[in-house]
Amino acid sequence: MKKSRDFNDILDECLERLVKGGTIEECLASYPDLAAELEPLLQTAVAVRQASVIQPHPDFRAKARYQFHSALQAMESKKSRSFFGWQRRWVTAVTVVFVLLLAGGGTVAAASNSMPDNPLYPVKLATEQVQLILTPSDIGKARLCLRLADRRVAEIVYIANKNKPEQVENVIQRLDNHLVMIASLISGQRKDGSILMVPSEQAGVDNDVHIQANGRVNLRIMIASYAINHPAALRAALEKSPDSVKPALRRAIAISVAGYEKALMALD
Amino acid sequence: MQDEESLVRRAQQRDQGAFAQLYEEYFDKIYRYVVLRIGNETEAEDVTQQVFLNTLQSISSFRWKGAPFSAWLFRIAHNQVVDYLRKKTRQATESLDESLIISKSDPQLVVEKKLDIEQLMLATKRLTKAQQEVIALRFVSELSTTQVAKAMGKSEGAVKALQHSAIVALRKVLSVG
Repeated sequence: MKKSRDFNDILDECLERLVKGGTIEECLASYPDLAAELEPLLQTAVAVRQASVIQPHPDFRAKARYQFHSALQAMESKKSRSFFGWQRRWVTAVTVVFVLLLAGGGTVAAASNSMPDNPLYPVKLATEQVQLILTPSDIGKARLCLRLADRRVAEIVYIANKNKPEQVENVIQRLDNHLVMIASLISGQRKDGSILMVPSEQAGVDNDVHIQANGRVNLRIMIASYAINHPAALRAALEKSPDSVKPALRRAIAISVAGYEKALMALD
Repeated sequence: MQDEESLVRRAQQRDQGAFAQLYEEYFDKIYRYVVLRIGNETEAEDVTQQVFLNTLQSISSFRWKGAPFSAWLFRIAHNQVVDYLRKKTRQATESLDESLIISKSDPQLVVEKKLDIEQLMLATKRLTKAQQEVIALRFVSELSTTQVAKAMGKSEGAVKALQHSAIVALRKVLSVG
């Protein structure tokens, strides 16, 4: 019994050594008396380890990450829907508007076409945040997020061409946030049992069914179009871009494919 | 990765960055564990996603009482796998191609021929549940003996004995076919 327990300890020690980069031979040299017994077991353990080094498929990895972040965002948005959450968002909006007014309309206009390597780019992002906060309906927000995603893709292509991997990553993160928000807004609407309509559409109560269908169809067309165009634009950029930004661009492609697919599924 | 305890505490306070780090750290390990336990890569994807969604929902209930976070996370994975297998008891084994079983009489040839994941999945089905669990946790997800012991609720000595018997049994299955 004692011998068996000792052998288990030695086997475990050898397995641990293998994990840390050691070899079977080194272990056998440490325990020559047990070499005959240890060797076949260690060979089997190494074979098992080698066979099991499987990587999740990149598409699955991207989808899973997306779903996880969506769930995380959904939990977060539940929290922020409290009174104080809304109050804080409005204070932020008013503050940003005030700052932008001080900066002047010309600055805001000039910033609207700025790229991530431009000093006015933060103004552009701040303006977008204000637009998002002040957009009343979820469907309106979803449409705005789609337009912002379109901008982000254009920025990724531009900045990748400039060979700035860090900035590419930052923009990809923003793209991911937009796509997560789109699916979350659509899912949130459906969970609440409410109807996906823009405010102006809500006036025509008699035509509810027709209007609802139109709102959903328009949104679907927009998403379906971007679902094709954005990955295509990013793939084209991938072919021409420097090697240093290629990994980021591949991630952007995976994120956009998964993001739009999720949005379309949420609409179903 | 930064100190796991502080990372988990931040995740419990809904810090998205902390959650993301934990997710990236454990995603591949959990996926490999699930693949080996249920024997189907496609269905392992759904189960893996569910493990992390369950983690997200229940992380506030995790307490540091000697057991590492990994042990708790792999318990969730284990429960999810058990739940899956309960629902699809027969399907889980039938989905594997029986022709994949290795029929070499010499174990040396087996390891030299390079075992692949399908063969490994099929072979582990011939082991006891506890042996399957220890192979998946120890060799596939690469947890330490201490972590495996915590995850399985056994002593380290018991885990060492179990891993010994599991390797012997696996070798036997691979050699007999």
